[in-house]
Amino acid sequence: MATAGEDGLVASGVERGRDLASRIVDNPVPWLLPTLTVLALFQLYPLVEAVRLSLTNEVLTATSTEFVGLENYVDLVTSIGFRQMVVVTAVFAVSSIVLHTVAGLVLALAIDYGVRRGLRGHLTTRVSVLLAWIVPGIIIGLIWKVMLVESQFGAINHVLGTVGIGPVPFRSNPTLALASTIVAGTWRGTAFAMIMIYGGLQRIPPRLYEAARVDGAGRWARFRHVTIPQLKPVMFVTIVLVSIYALNTFDLIFALTNGGPGRATEVFALFMYRKAFTDYALGEGAAVAVVLLGVNLLLTAVYLYVFDIGDQL
Amino acid sequence: MTTGREPDTSRSSTASTNGTGDRRRSGESDTSDVGVDSPSRTDGGQTGVSGWAGERLAGTPLDGAGNALADVDVRLADAVAYGLYGVAMLFFAFPVLWIVSASVRPAGELFSFPFRFFPREVSVTAYQRVLQEGMVTWLVNSTAITIVGVGSIVAVSVPAAYAFSRFRFRGRRQLLGVVLLFQMISSIVIIVPLYSVLTSLGLVDTRAGLVLLYVGIQTPFSIWLLKGYFDTVPEELDYAAQIDGCNRLQTLRHVLLRPIAPGIAVVAIFNTVFLWSEFVIAYTVLGSERRLYTISIGVYEFQSQFGNDWRAIAAASVVGMLPLVAVFVALQRYFVKGLIKGSLKGE
Repeated sequence: MATAGEDGLVASGVERGRDLASRIVDNPVPWLLPTLTVLALFQLYPLVEAVRLSLTNEVLTATSTEFVGLENYVDLVTSIGFRQMVVVTAVFAVSSIVLHTVAGLVLALAIDYGVRRGLRGHLTTRVSVLLAWIVPGIIIGLIWKVMLVESQFGAINHVLGTVGIGPVPFRSNPTLALASTIVAGTWRGTAFAMIMIYGGLQRIPPRLYEAARVDGAGRWARFRHVTIPQLKPVMFVTIVLVSIYALNTFDLIFALTNGGPGRATEVFALFMYRKAFTDYALGEGAAVAVVLLGVNLLLTAVYLYVFDIGDQL
Repeated sequence: MTTGREPDTSRSSTASTNGTGDRRRSGESDTSDVGVDSPSRTDGGQTGVSGWAGERLAGTPLDGAGNALADVDVRLADAVAYGLYGVAMLFFAFPVLWIVSASVRPAGELFSFPFRFFPREVSVTAYQRVLQEGMVTWLVNSTAITIVGVGSIVAVSVPAAYAFSRFRFRGRRQLLGVVLLFQMISSIVIIVPLYSVLTSLGLVDTRAGLVLLYVGIQTPFSIWLLKGYFDTVPEELDYAAQIDGCNRLQTLRHVLLRPIAPGIAVVAIFNTVFLWSEFVIAYTVLGSERRLYTISIGVYEFQSQFGNDWRAIAAASVVGMLPLVAVFVALQRYFVKGLIKGSLKGE
């Protein structure tokens, strides 16, 4: 190999310099130094700072700030907007989790089945689903905005119009607006669940199916007693990750409805962003962020517990 | 193949005479004993694993060749699968195709009756308008940020992943746990302090500042993914290289880089998609500087300015997603394979 030749050269060369280099690279610190630096600067410090900020009354435009304890949190929980935001976020998140996971599961099974049976079209299906996933979030919001235009210019209303329905106010009716964001979110998010579950399907040892078949289990029985139990862990992980993802959704809704009409689609992240960058209330915004952080941490704890990641550490 | 098949048939015949007999084969079985039986079968089955696995990949999932019911079943299942493919393709591909079609329509017949998908003639005026509004600048900025950002992320996370995989040092597990924690925390939670960090570094309104933030945000995920790839490479390779006189850096470069290359590719692809698409951080850091707009900011600002020009918004969207779509279509097999790698031993 090339290694040997180059090594010979090095050996005949500066022996001492090589020793020093070896000693440096035998220590993990140099390998980790760049990572530790960026993580300290752009992860650890901001986290601590977010908690600190949430305990102050800092406003972007004011010069002096003071420590106010938990005041921001109390104000937050008692404000009307907060309650509505929690409800909107919960509806958005729960619907997203159900729709992404169910659609992802169904498609993963259909594609897995198609691959094994040699059906045509499974590849095109997979590409279509994944295509939706890689479109930038802002553009997804805009695509659906154009699709849902509330006159015959919108594709959906155009089609509905030809059968005598509409025009449907997809973005100006509060309930429909929330439903629209959920559909657009599912359009994007299904791919992730699909890939995760498809990966889980490939992980099921074929001999389990063989064993079930030997025992005379039919197709449905094999699905019920082999596929589903074997898929449980990956389903759980998928659900947790989709939850985290859904709870932090921002760009798609920002472009599609911008939280409106009123506050009908104002989810957690949007609420926080507005507090911090529209109202310039950094302290209050940070308090919202810390609550969101707490939810994220809780879900992460569940993830770690279920995934039993201890072995990999 | 034939030798693999033989024990199978003998086994299934014994199974059906053994238990409740033919009723179990017709599908209305009490299948709870599958769960009871399979652990004992798993052991016994191990000897035949290779043959069976081969059969599963090559053959149909059909058992009981003589079963006429199963034939109907299969045809039905095929039909359901095809139906799902159709629905999925319509739902997932239609909006993208529609936006492309809307972007090239002449202004007059934007949406004409009756419903037509292909416009009568193609017009590029919408694209010209986006071009005038600074599209080239957005594309250049996004390309530069993506290339430099992805390169930096790989450069930072490969050594770290190597260290986590190959060194045994105190606090390693804890540190890995912290990295995972960072991966799980959405960056939107820390967006306000991130902004102040950049302010104190004097990097607000600079592309370099944004790239640094991206490195901080995406490194945890990349380290975890790459560590997984490093872990699959046997350490005997390292020892062999060491005996040949390689130090750790040389081992990484000459021996380990090749087996983990697919992992680097997956990390690069994922981060390319993320960096190209990212909006909220870019908007916060660069939003006040028109000439620094990335594609996401540019498209967003464009639509808030020309809210009713749907054709132009469609054109801007097409331009924004086209590069990613092109990269993706070229690499999609690789992409999926890389993602579920480790689980797919056969493929």
